[in-house]
Amino acid sequence: MRTQNTALLANVFLITLAFIWLIPLAIMAITAFSPPEYRPTTYGGLQLTHFSIKNFQIVFEETSIVRNFINSLIIACTSVVLVVIFSSMAAYSFARMQIKGKNILFFLLISALMLPVPTLILPIFQINKSLGILDSHLGLIFPYAAFGMPFAIIILRSFFESLPKELEESAIIDGVSHYRIFLFIVLPSSWPAIAVVIIFQFMTCFNEFILALVTIDSPSLKPLSLVPLVYSGQFLSQPGAMFATLIIVTVPVILVFVFVQRFMVNMTIKNNS
Amino acid sequence: MNRADSLTQPLQFRGLLFITPVLLFFSVFIVYPVLYIFYLGMFDWDGINDSKFILFKNYIKLFSSDRVFWISLRNAAYWAPLTIISQMVLGFIVAFLLEIRTPFVTILRTIFFIPTIISPIIVGILWQQIYNPFGGLLSDIGYATGFDSLTYAFLADTRTAVFAVIVVNVWQWMGFSMLIYIAGIKSLPKSVLDMAKIDGLSMAKMAMYVVWPMLKHVHLTLILLGVIGTMQTFPLIYSLTSGGPNHATEMLPNYIFQQGFLLHNMGYASAISVVLFIISIGLSILQIKFLKVNFINKELK
Repeated sequence: MRTQNTALLANVFLITLAFIWLIPLAIMAITAFSPPEYRPTTYGGLQLTHFSIKNFQIVFEETSIVRNFINSLIIACTSVVLVVIFSSMAAYSFARMQIKGKNILFFLLISALMLPVPTLILPIFQINKSLGILDSHLGLIFPYAAFGMPFAIIILRSFFESLPKELEESAIIDGVSHYRIFLFIVLPSSWPAIAVVIIFQFMTCFNEFILALVTIDSPSLKPLSLVPLVYSGQFLSQPGAMFATLIIVTVPVILVFVFVQRFMVNMTIKNNS
Repeated sequence: MNRADSLTQPLQFRGLLFITPVLLFFSVFIVYPVLYIFYLGMFDWDGINDSKFILFKNYIKLFSSDRVFWISLRNAAYWAPLTIISQMVLGFIVAFLLEIRTPFVTILRTIFFIPTIISPIIVGILWQQIYNPFGGLLSDIGYATGFDSLTYAFLADTRTAVFAVIVVNVWQWMGFSMLIYIAGIKSLPKSVLDMAKIDGLSMAKMAMYVVWPMLKHVHLTLILLGVIGTMQTFPLIYSLTSGGPNHATEMLPNYIFQQGFLLHNMGYASAISVVLFIISIGLSILQIKFLKVNFINKELK
């Protein structure tokens, strides 16, 4: 009897909280799906009176949001490739090879995880300038890759260490080189860890803001993360179109998350246990 | 020839070869920048003209007469404990209730986690609709129900603004704590929860006296990540308040951006970066040393 009551209470609490949590998202959706001429002006826009997708048409006609989306894809995918290749090599080396000063190196890499990105925007701006990659995608791809490597190395190293050594050892005795072992034995059996690295790196690149803000100037090069800022100026008098922009930016990220969430939750559990 | 020898001998070289690309990226985009801010922090430079070496003058100005700098530090001092504690308590309660029993686990978990994957810039724009005293959600609810205090312009008052932003930050990141707690609870031995049930402990008691104490490593990880997150806070402030009103919601990253890229005081901005660097690394090392926090739990042991 009592446990049933508490369970009911728990559910009521959770559902109420979930509704509160959804309010900002509802505001976004309702304003975006209202016709521009019937824009809700009270309750922050939480009242849907008419329905229309006109705002979305406006966005696709008047902005280059598709271009921005492609920019983000280019930046994220390239840095993911760099991170996966180089971090897995380094992680394999940390896990299986002898290097002098290995622990100090590893500690240095880890400490980069505590580093707030904003402390580095000034120097990276200057570095990009002297490398001639300021206001270009490479100017984001390289730093993003560098920031992503420490986390990737931790994840991959612990995964490599958990792989049974016997297979690699017998391959070595058969005279297979380390490069081949890495490429054809270790990497293929590490896909769960690599997937986590890919998802994490992709999401971080996709959402990164401050570095993109200070290094990218040309409108045609701007990634999706700068879009809300860019078009909130352009759509100052058209909140509907602005919120439609926000939805277009948000939906892909949410879809990716829903798609991978089972996977991510399981991975977190693995790492915790 | 001994096999083992052939394995270890060239390994030093191969090991280095495997690490080289990472080291290259790491040196150019992380190590060099860190050294660079320490160096540039001792100069007066507008980014274009010749720089002037002034040793510690930037730091003296920062600590002795820069009001905005102290406001930023004060805000970080509010921000870290308030967001971390609220997120942990709320995240734990939600995670516990989700794990114990509810028929809607997946959908609820998704709803709570979605804010963490939305760009903070967007979050800022959305919450302006809630805080807006003219037709915003809170104020209109206030007018409709008679709760006049809700009609207050929270973001426009220097005394309340930073707390209003903190609320938004809790909304955004609670789901992250929840997810980590769910993982923690799932990894507890099942017998513990069953035993507690058999002993007839109420859910509240079970949460407080059995589950919470067993998740110490999770709490510590969340505190560490929370402190690091506080030091990174930029886009939410940038879009919600731009650091205003009258710098009341300024955080160090925003101040770096402002000094470096809007006012072109590169040297001064570097000095602020150095302070932020020292605070962040210092706090992290303190926690790792004294609280024995681990980043991704067992990885670093």
